[in-house]
Amino acid sequence: MHHRFRGLLFGFLFAFIPVALLLICGCANQFAANPLILTLWHNYGGQLKETMDEMIDKFNETAGAENGIIINVTAISGSATISEKLAMAAGGEPGAPALPDITTAYPKSALLLAEKGLLVDLDQHFTAEELSAFVPQFLEEGRLGGGELFVFPVAKSTEVLFVNTTIFNRFAADTGAKLADLQTFEGIARTAASYYEWTDRQTPAANDGKMFFMLDSLFNYTLIGCKQLGGELFHDGTIDFKAPHFFRVWEYFFKPAVLGHAAIFDGYATDLAKTGDIVCSIGSTAGVSFFSPIVTYADNSSEPAQLAIMPYPVFEGGEKIALQRGAGMSVIKSTAERESAAAIFLKWFTSPENNLHFVSRTGYLPVTVEAFGELMEHEIAHISEENIKKLLQTCRLMQEEYDFCTAPLFEGIDEWQAQYEKRFKEIAAASREAYREQLMNGDSTRVRVFESVSSRAFDAFIQGFNR
Amino acid sequence: MQRLNLRFKQLFNPGKQDSSPGGTAGVSLGRRLFFFMTALAMTIFVGVIAILILTGVLSAGLSESEKMFASELLHTANEITRDYGLISLRTIDLATSLSASIEASAGRMGVPATGLKEHPEMLEEIISSQYERALFALLVSQCSGVFFILDATVNPTLENASHSKAGLYLKNMEPNIISSSTPNITLLCGFPAIGRNNALSLHAQWTMEFDISAAPYYYKPLAAAAANPHLPLSRLYYWSGALTLPGTSEEIMICSAPLLDSQGNAFGVCGFEISAMLFKLSYMPAHRHFNHLFCVLAPLGDESLDLKRSLLAGGYSARVAARNHSLLRIIENRRYFYSYQENKDTLYLGLHEPVKLYPDDSVFAGEHWAAAILLPQEDIVSSITSLNVLLFSLLALLIIAGIICSFVLGQKLFVKPITDGLDLLKSDNLATAPKTKIPELDDLIEYLSSRSQELSQKARQENFSLEILDQFLTNVKQLSAAERAVFDLYAEGYSANEISRKLFLSINTIKTHSKRIYAKLNVASREELLLYVQLFKALGKEF
Repeated sequence: MHHRFRGLLFGFLFAFIPVALLLICGCANQFAANPLILTLWHNYGGQLKETMDEMIDKFNETAGAENGIIINVTAISGSATISEKLAMAAGGEPGAPALPDITTAYPKSALLLAEKGLLVDLDQHFTAEELSAFVPQFLEEGRLGGGELFVFPVAKSTEVLFVNTTIFNRFAADTGAKLADLQTFEGIARTAASYYEWTDRQTPAANDGKMFFMLDSLFNYTLIGCKQLGGELFHDGTIDFKAPHFFRVWEYFFKPAVLGHAAIFDGYATDLAKTGDIVCSIGSTAGVSFFSPIVTYADNSSEPAQLAIMPYPVFEGGEKIALQRGAGMSVIKSTAERESAAAIFLKWFTSPENNLHFVSRTGYLPVTVEAFGELMEHEIAHISEENIKKLLQTCRLMQEEYDFCTAPLFEGIDEWQAQYEKRFKEIAAASREAYREQLMNGDSTRVRVFESVSSRAFDAFIQGFNR
Repeated sequence: MQRLNLRFKQLFNPGKQDSSPGGTAGVSLGRRLFFFMTALAMTIFVGVIAILILTGVLSAGLSESEKMFASELLHTANEITRDYGLISLRTIDLATSLSASIEASAGRMGVPATGLKEHPEMLEEIISSQYERALFALLVSQCSGVFFILDATVNPTLENASHSKAGLYLKNMEPNIISSSTPNITLLCGFPAIGRNNALSLHAQWTMEFDISAAPYYYKPLAAAAANPHLPLSRLYYWSGALTLPGTSEEIMICSAPLLDSQGNAFGVCGFEISAMLFKLSYMPAHRHFNHLFCVLAPLGDESLDLKRSLLAGGYSARVAARNHSLLRIIENRRYFYSYQENKDTLYLGLHEPVKLYPDDSVFAGEHWAAAILLPQEDIVSSITSLNVLLFSLLALLIIAGIICSFVLGQKLFVKPITDGLDLLKSDNLATAPKTKIPELDDLIEYLSSRSQELSQKARQENFSLEILDQFLTNVKQLSAAERAVFDLYAEGYSANEISRKLFLSINTIKTHSKRIYAKLNVASREELLLYVQLFKALGKEF
């Protein structure tokens, strides 16, 4: 056989066969008959659902399609409902749904599943280098106090101060109030009192001033307030009611609440903000998309509302500490194939690009160091939603200046939180009602009235706790 | 033998060209075999392709896809017809119960239902009183929202009061969660006190009242009721195309019916909402091979689908892409699928099926709807191309494998034994050559061996004759001039007497010369002499 001819023949064969094999493999991949379908429960409902749906669609069409994985959302609900469902499923309760492959979970609900051996240690699916890309505190929270990574951080949140500057500026123009005063809880209380007086003067009726602020979570406020003042809310799994810092924190909301300067409300502060019933509120960063650009008043008149987003207030003389919030994602134990597929989804979801895409539309905080850095600055510059832009700028500032802490993790913390909120609102509402009645009955000395209705409130609050 | 050997070498060394003058380039046995095999393989390949084309196998992907689309469409169209029919019924029920309840409430406050616009101070109480009814209607329906709008506003003095109507709009944020113990209901529109008194959050895009400046779901049922006062609600309900409520971001479809007092006078509308998300979760095609496959419920015009007023169920990218298009012209293809074109560009291939949303005698019976299963044309072309590339690649691989096998085996089992056999032929001693185990070659070797022996014998004989002739020729050259003259005349055929006369010599002289000539040429007679002469002439030689 002539060498040239033989060379041509083998050249043709060696060139064609790999191409043909690649084509066949490509086609075979495209027509993968049985993609792995992973079920997902998440708590990104309401306004956040659209963004989450978009992200899942995007995964299914890109990385999911490449790896033969389809994410199927089978439950979207509040974190409390998901926790309840997870507990039911883990406990094998009658009628309980099957556990999903991936679920959003707070550390306290994940702890229950981890104790039953139902969660995958995600350390096995991430290299040390991959994990080093994440903010260490976020990973630490997911280790539930142990060594294994059971809750993977996907999007975190903290609490900030939202201020309707349209109303505030009007008030400030008349009274000289300053936004900077709202950097401390004491300043907020003083401004709230001033705002009440200012609004009271706008109508001929007496004592009909308006509320100034609201806290979305009284429990978180107390928890962080105690920490800012150098103490701890819990000692040995119990609230230390006798600690001096506790009373200070408690009173700084109780008094404005009774005097009508702060709102006692079961819903979120954004509801009251929409109708101009409050001017500022402290709540989760994830609540930013719930603020309306318009304030509508009771007579159906309305005006555009500008929003200022400020760092979490600090007690005077206290440390700059804020709460680190937000659920992570846990993977339920199943087969090695499903667990690996779930890890692929988590890696995709938390890649800096996708993570920032998610947080820039929802008000959550990114979880990787890279996403918090220059990438975030770049993303901030391209965000069209003004409130989210302001929020991320504030969060960057807090990231630099604040220490973040997580809620304590022990059995019964949920009950403590629920009781705390319920008891406080009951006592405050009752005192407020008594305060109003006494004022309406002609006693015009507010200080004396307040003292008379609240003198036993703190003791009543403590004694009503079911320990 | 040398020439024969050269031909053999050329045959089995294909690269070497015939270097002999006037020789032509030959084709080696191995190359011929390869070409024959390739030609055979290519013939089979072309034949198989022809069969695939004739039997329609190459377009089987289209056929199978169409069957899948048809099955998906049948299922989806049936579900939409059933679900939308049920929502139409619930809308009629809600309109009936709300009409009666609101009329009664207004009556207790001393005003007719149609007179509420003159009493805005009553609206909050009347609307709040219907909250439970609306909530229950929402929870038992498969809808994402419920609403009612009264022809009245709380503040007639506002600039936009003519477009602002009081009412209630409850939205289920998670309608896909069946039997949820904690439904996520928000107040999209209505008095905030309704939300606060009932532990409902205000929707992020909450408004106090409805903006009806562009609200066909409000105007159309009211106009239908006014124009057809004797028709029942079942002939007056209306399905809007997909729309986005002012200030909100999500697309919805609305089924609405007029609120009628006992006199048949309309004083508002009520109805249910299907959000784009609910539609997607309910009717998203389950096919996993086509990422961009989507289902659409769209107004069906004259051979066209109105994509702008449709709800879509499909992946994110499919929905985003479809939103860039408006009116799709429907073209029926000859064999497979319908084409859906915009500006003569085929955008989608798919199938559609009319969906009946109204009774035949409804005011809105002229508005036709269709459910369609669509896929971007490039996706289906790419899919079929991929399938056919796979098929062709497999065929090509098969052919190549066949050629390689036949080449290797042909070389080993066919060409090499022949070349070895032919090498044997080149050996000197064919008689002792080993058997090639190819009968034809062994026969040839045996034949050539025996033939070789014969040729050797003959050659030996031929060599002997040639020696005699050469000796004769040498002897001729020893003749004297006189003898040579006589010899030449003998060679020309003259007799002795004729030669004597021709040479003017006596016959005796001629006889003397003849004796010497015979002696020198070593012949016995004139006849023998002439035989030599003839032999020389036959050989073309000269003396």
